[in-house]
Formats: sequence, C-alpha cells, structure tokens
Amino acid sequence: MGISDARRRHGPGRAAGGPAVDTDLEALICAAARGDQGAFEAVCVRAGPSVFGVVRAVVRDPAQVEEVCQEVLLEVWCAASRFEPGRGSALAWVTTIAHRRAVDRVRSESRSAARQLRAATHHVDYDEVAEAVEIRLDRERVRRCLGSLTSVQRESVTLAYYGGYTLRQVAALLAVPEGTVKTRMRDGLIRLRDCLGGTR
Amino acid sequence: MRRLRRTQAHTLAGAYALDAVTGADRARFERHLARCQDCAGELRELREAAARLAAAVAADPPPALVERAVAAASRTRQWPPDTGRERGWRPVRRARRVGGLRRPAAHGRPRHAVSRRAALGAAAVFLAVAAASGAVAVSAEHHLGADQARVHAIAEVLNAPDAVMLTARITGGGTATVVMSHRDRALVFTAAGLPALPTGSRYQLWLMGPTGDRPAVVLPAPDHGMTGPVIATGLKAGDSVGLTVSRAGPTSGHLAAKPILMLNLV
Repeated sequence: MGISDARRRHGPGRAAGGPAVDTDLEALICAAARGDQGAFEAVCVRAGPSVFGVVRAVVRDPAQVEEVCQEVLLEVWCAASRFEPGRGSALAWVTTIAHRRAVDRVRSESRSAARQLRAATHHVDYDEVAEAVEIRLDRERVRRCLGSLTSVQRESVTLAYYGGYTLRQVAALLAVPEGTVKTRMRDGLIRLRDCLGGTR
Repeated sequence: MRRLRRTQAHTLAGAYALDAVTGADRARFERHLARCQDCAGELRELREAAARLAAAVAADPPPALVERAVAAASRTRQWPPDTGRERGWRPVRRARRVGGLRRPAAHGRPRHAVSRRAALGAAAVFLAVAAASGAVAVSAEHHLGADQARVHAIAEVLNAPDAVMLTARITGGGTATVVMSHRDRALVFTAAGLPALPTGSRYQLWLMGPTGDRPAVVLPAPDHGMTGPVIATGLKAGDSVGLTVSRAGPTSGHLAAKPILMLNLV
C-alpha cells in the first residue's frame, strides 16, 4: 500500500480525523474491495461522520440527507476496487464521492424556492453531536485557516463546498466575474492547504 | 468561460475540486486532466484540502445509516477494478440503479447565472454555511412559530411572480442582494462580504422614499461576512432600500448616519 503524496509531504502528521484513522481507512477500503463486508462496515463507521457532515451541509433536508448518505456509502462499496492509495488519502476519496453525490442531488432536484429555504432552515443542534476531541480540534483548525483567506476566497470556497453552488452561481451571488471566482477558488484552496499543512 | 482554452484549464482545478464546474466546462477540464500530469497532481492536493472542509463538519450520523449501508452492500455486486489505461478514480456520475437505490439523474439544469434561484441561494446559503461551519448555534426551538412565519414570508417573496433580483456593492465592502416583490410590497435582503462591526454597532436596513425614511429591520451580525435573509415589508412606490451602520439600542425614526448602500427599487 502506498503512502499518499500529501502525507509524505506533511510527514506522519494527522490527516483529517487523525493519521491512524486514515491509514486504517486505506487498509479497510482495500479489504472491502475484496468483498470483506466487515471491513466495509468499519469503513462506514470511520468515514460516516465526514460523509454525513458534508452531505448534510449541502443537501440540508434530513430525509434526503440520509438517502444520499446511503448512496455514497454504497458507491464506496461498489467502487472500492478503484481506490488507489497512492493517489490521495482514503478520506479525500470518500468525501469527494460524498460531495459529488450531494451536489448532484441538489442540482438535479427541481425544487421550488420555498422548499429549498425550508430545507435550509431545518435546524440541527450541533452541540448534541457527540464528537471526538480530535474532530473538534480539526474543526477549529479549519475554521482558523478559513479565516486567513480573503473574503472573496473564503466565500467562493464555502459557497461552492458547503452551499453546493456552481462557479456561475457563486459569481452571481458574489457579484464578481466568473474568472475572478475561478481563481479565488483555486487560490483559496491552495491557501487552505498550506495553512492546514502548517498547523499540523 | 464560454470556451476553455488550454492555458486557462489549469486554473479551473480549484473550482473542479469543489465540484463547481458543470457541463461542457467540466468535460473539457477532464479531457485536459487526462493529458496534464501537473493538473492531476494539483487536483489531488486541492481535494485533500476540500476533504478537510468535509472533516470539519463531521457529525455522528443516525445509527441506522451504517446498518442499512451494510445491508445494501450485502445485496450489491461490486464494480470490477479499473484495469484500463485510464488510471485514477473518478466518481461515476451517470444515473444507474445500484442495490435497489435509484440514483438521481446526474445534475440537471442550473445554467443561468442570475435567477431567482440564485438569489435565493444568497438567502439559503448563509444558513447552510453558518450551520455547516458550526459558527452559529441555531437554537430557535422556542421561536419556531415566529421563525416559520418569517421563513414562509421570505419564501412568498422569492416565489412571487413579479420577484426581481438586484445586487449592489456596499460602500466599505460587501455585496447586497435584494429580491423584491411589488405584489407582496416586501423585499428580502442578504449580504455577503460585510466587514464585522465593533460591538455596540449594527447594520440597519431602511426603506426610503417620497413618504419618508422608515427603519425596516436590523440585520443579524454578519458571520463570515454574511447576513440575512431578512424581510422588510411595507414597501411603497418609489422606495429605495438603504443600509446604515447605527448604534445598538432603540432605532430612531430618522436616518442619522450616511447610508453605505442606496439601492433604487424601481
């Protein structure tokens, strides 16, 4: 099993959720690829919180959130043999699937404004969520790093990632040209990466 | 971005990593990706950064989720490994049936930049982002009734057949988005990129017109620069919407500070 470029660069530091989690996650996905259902269950337990978090952020409507999470986990099962450990972390592989599924859902849905707004205002009590200290620290770190971005960078990145908006929609929301948003998204992610790398 | 030239393709990596590239642009970028080693490398790194955004909103899923996923997996055949020339995974996007779960058809329409939907986005997204980043504790259980009425009123305006969206820059930083309906004599206001205010100050929305200036509503303190959606009712012909920074406390009936935004609603 290879070690991802990012991890090599950052040394044995923590990937999101901790290094142990991610190394295990790689091994578990590889085992699941060979049909090991026990390993798949462990994948769900470990990656479930990130999957659930990102899907909920984008989709909002609790009923649909669960459905999309199911689809994501099932795709992880189906596509496990296509995960290549040398090409990025296991968590990035899973969350990329999760985010794509989530935006596919919100974009394919023909929704009325009212429905979307209702979904957006479904409130979730984050304090009730049991979370490991590790995750809490990671969250703080990400929040701090987001704070180091310029406002256009930050809004471009968060509107796209948490809001599920397209480049064109983000440009309209921020009233900035698409080209600007495009470069801000890239610059923002690069800065985020550097900041997160530096705080490990 | 109608046409994606080779030299430009590279800069799309960020938007692509955030799944913000759609349609033909995405297809072009993916073709470019297959040829450009540097791009693939950069994309991997940007995806790692995006994964951290996911991890930052991690939360315990309902316990049944894992059970159901495992049950579905047990009746679902896995895909064979990718043995082709094409290496590197790419999530599959086509609609297909998997394990009895119907997938939605891959992304539908939103192509048009400025639409009421986009305007709504400004409104909805603040809530989504604020809640997702955990930055705002949304604990409105006890005002649910009032909140629902407000949400309903906002939705009415956004859905009104005559709804019009306007955006404008705010002096000192930020962008305001207004959706107004003459039928409902109301407008919905959101803002992004607003500078934080010192304690004791707040953003105040005004309706200003031939019949005089009326304080409309105080904006919630911006989070990550974003605030709203708020609704202002009682719109009259010839009104403009204005934004001021005012001192906290009872709002006086007339405009004391110079507006940092004046938007004509005609």
